[in-house]
Amino acid sequence: MSQSSSTGSFDVASLVEDVNLRRVAQYALVVFFLGFFLVPLETGIMTAIKTNESVARSLPFAPPVGEGFTLGNIQFALEQLSGSFFNSLIMSIPATIGSVLFGSMAAYGLTMVNWRAQMGMLMLFVVGVFVPYQAVLVPLARFWNNIFPLARMLEPMVASIPFFQGYHAELVPLVITHIAYGIPICTILFRSYYQSLPNSLVEAGKIDGASITKIYRRVILPISKPMFGVVFIYQFTQIYNEFLFAFTLVTGSDAPAAPVTLVLPAIGASTSGIDFGIRMSAAFLAAVPTLILYVAFAEQFAKGLRTEA
Amino acid sequence: MGQIRLTDLTKRFGDTVAVDDLSLDIDDEEFLVLVGPSGCGKSTTLRMLAGLETPTSGDIYIGGDHMNYRVPQNRDIAMVFQDYALYPHMTVRQNIRFGLEEEEGYTSEERDERVVEVAETLGIADLLDRKPDELSGGQQQRVALGRAIVRDPEVFLMDEPLSNLDAKLRAEMRTELQNLQDQLAVTTVYVTHNQTEAMTMADRIAVMDDGELQQVASPFECYHEPNNLFVAEFIGEPMINLIRGTRSESTFVGEHFSYPLDADVLESVGGREDLVLGIRPEDIEVVDATTDDTAADDALGDHELRMDVTVVEPHGDQNVLHLSHPDQPSADDALQAVTAGMHLVTRGDRVTVTIPPDKIHVFDAETGTAVHNRRHDQEADFTQLEQ
Repeated sequence: MSQSSSTGSFDVASLVEDVNLRRVAQYALVVFFLGFFLVPLETGIMTAIKTNESVARSLPFAPPVGEGFTLGNIQFALEQLSGSFFNSLIMSIPATIGSVLFGSMAAYGLTMVNWRAQMGMLMLFVVGVFVPYQAVLVPLARFWNNIFPLARMLEPMVASIPFFQGYHAELVPLVITHIAYGIPICTILFRSYYQSLPNSLVEAGKIDGASITKIYRRVILPISKPMFGVVFIYQFTQIYNEFLFAFTLVTGSDAPAAPVTLVLPAIGASTSGIDFGIRMSAAFLAAVPTLILYVAFAEQFAKGLRTEA
Repeated sequence: MGQIRLTDLTKRFGDTVAVDDLSLDIDDEEFLVLVGPSGCGKSTTLRMLAGLETPTSGDIYIGGDHMNYRVPQNRDIAMVFQDYALYPHMTVRQNIRFGLEEEEGYTSEERDERVVEVAETLGIADLLDRKPDELSGGQQQRVALGRAIVRDPEVFLMDEPLSNLDAKLRAEMRTELQNLQDQLAVTTVYVTHNQTEAMTMADRIAVMDDGELQQVASPFECYHEPNNLFVAEFIGEPMINLIRGTRSESTFVGEHFSYPLDADVLESVGGREDLVLGIRPEDIEVVDATTDDTAADDALGDHELRMDVTVVEPHGDQNVLHLSHPDQPSADDALQAVTAGMHLVTRGDRVTVTIPPDKIHVFDAETGTAVHNRRHDQEADFTQLEQ
C-alpha cells in the first residue's frame, strides 16, 4: 500500500488507487455489521426518550422530534427500580467478591501446592462448571425454604442493621448460592493464570520459612491483581444479570427484596398493554452499574498488566 | 552445625531414575560444587536437600538431624534460584526482609537493621527501595543472595545462579561468591553445568552423570587423577585427548601410531586388551618439524609423532592447536595441543609432537575406569611456562 506523505498534503491519487471492489465490499460488510449491532441499542435509547404517542407514530430508530421528547419515562423507571437496584447491588457485590476470592484460593491450592488427590479435586471443580442451573432449582428452593430457612432465621438480625429491612434477609441465601455456583468457573480462570506463574516463587517463599497460607496472602494474592480485575468483571456481570436463581429464591417481582432482574420483566406492563418507553428506560438504567464497573475496573486491570510487564 | 550427609539417596520420576543411590558427605563450611551435564540429577539432588522434592529412598541429614520428613521451612537452609525468584511486587528491602519475618529472636527494628547491614555487604544499599523489574541482572542476583544471607542459615543451596549473567559479570561474581562464602563460613552446595565454575570455586567437586556420582574430590584431583573417562572428559578445557587402541605386548597400538608403555603403566594395566590413552592438551610438547619428511620420520623417538596443524586458536596467553595425522586427516584421531602464547604456529605447519610418558592417563576401554593416571609433582616451588 502506498504511503501518503506525512507533511500533511493529501494525496488523492493514492487514495483512489486503493479503491477497488474488494475493499468496498469489506467496508460495506463492516458497516453492515456495525449497524446490525448498534441499531437496536440506538433504537432503545431513542424509544426511552419518546412519549408513547411518538413511539407509535415514528420509526423506531428515528430520534424524537419536538413534542415527542420526554424524560418522564426515565424518571418513572428510576422510581420503580431504585429499591431493586439497592437489592441487586447488595446481593451482587458480596457474591462476586466471595466467589472470586474463594476461586483464587482454590486455584492456588490446586495449582501451586502439591498434594495427593489434587487431580480428583480439580475434576470435581470442572464438573461443577457444567452444572445447569435449571436442574438444581427445585432442590435449591427446598433447601433454602424448608431444610435450612436461613432467610427467616436472619430476618430479625438484618432488620436491626441501619438502612436494611428485615426482608433483605431473603438475599442472603441468594448470595451464598451465587458464591457456591461461581467458585468453579473462577477457579478454572485463576488456575490458568497461576499455571503461567513461575513455581520458583512459591518455592522461594517456602524456603524463606513462610507457610502455604502466608505465601498466598503475601506473594500470590498481590501478584494476581490483574486477574482479579478480569474475573471480577466477568463474575459481576454473570451474577448481576442472573434471573433464574433470583426468581427461585426471591419469589415474585412484587417482593420488596427483588433484584433488578426480577423487576424488569414486570415494568411497564399493565392490562392496557406494554409501555415501551418505560421498558427501554428501565433496561438502560439496569445496565448502568455493569457499565460503571467495566469503566472502573478496565483501567485498573490495564494498569495492573502494565506494571507486571 | 552445617555438615551434610546423603545416604543411598534415590529419586525416581515414574520409570526414570533421576538420582541413583547417591552417598555423599559434606563437611561444615565446605564449598561443594555439584557438576555434570544437563539431566545428570544434580538439580534434583539439590532440590531434595532443600525439601522441594521427596526422595524415593535414602536419607538426608543436615547437622546430624534427619531431614527427609521436614518441610523446607524447617530446614534452616537458604536457596538462590537460577531465575532468582524475587517477589516482583515487593521492593528490594521487602524482598530481603521477607525471610527474616519468620526468624525468631529479632524485633522489628532489628530486622530492618539487619536488612540494611546485608545490603551494604553486597553493595546494594542504594537499591533498597526499588522493585526487581527496575534492576539489572547482576543487581537482581545480589538481591537473591541478600535474601539468602540475611537469615544466617546452616546451608546455602545455589542452583546455577551465575548462568543468566554475561561472561565478564560471571567472572566477577565467582570471586565475590567465594569471598562471601569464606567470610560467612557457611556450608554451600552449588550446582552448575559449567566446569570452569566448578574448578575455580569448589573446595571439592562432585561430578555426576546420569544420576550416578562419578567422583568426589578436590579440583586438583578431579583434573589430574580422574576416576574414569567421564570425569576426564568433563573436567578440563580444552578437553583431554583420548586415543582408542589395543595393547600388544608392551605397546599401545592406536589407529595411526604405536606408543610404548612404561613398566609401571603395564603393571596397572595388567591383562587388559582394549585401552584408551589420555593426554591433556597442555602436556603435549609441540616442536616445529623440518621440511625434509622421509629422513625426519626415521629420527622420531618412541613417544614422538609427526602431525599437521589444521586449526590454530589464539587465546593470547596460549594457543590451542588442532592437529591431525598427515596421511589421514580424520576428525577421530585429531589431537588438541596447547602451546604458550608466544609460540606462534601457523595453519598447515608440520610439527613433531611428543607425548611424555609420565603424563599419560590410561583407561579401560570397556568400563571407562582409570587404570593409570599421570605422575604429578605438587611440591613444585615455581612455575615456568615452557617456550
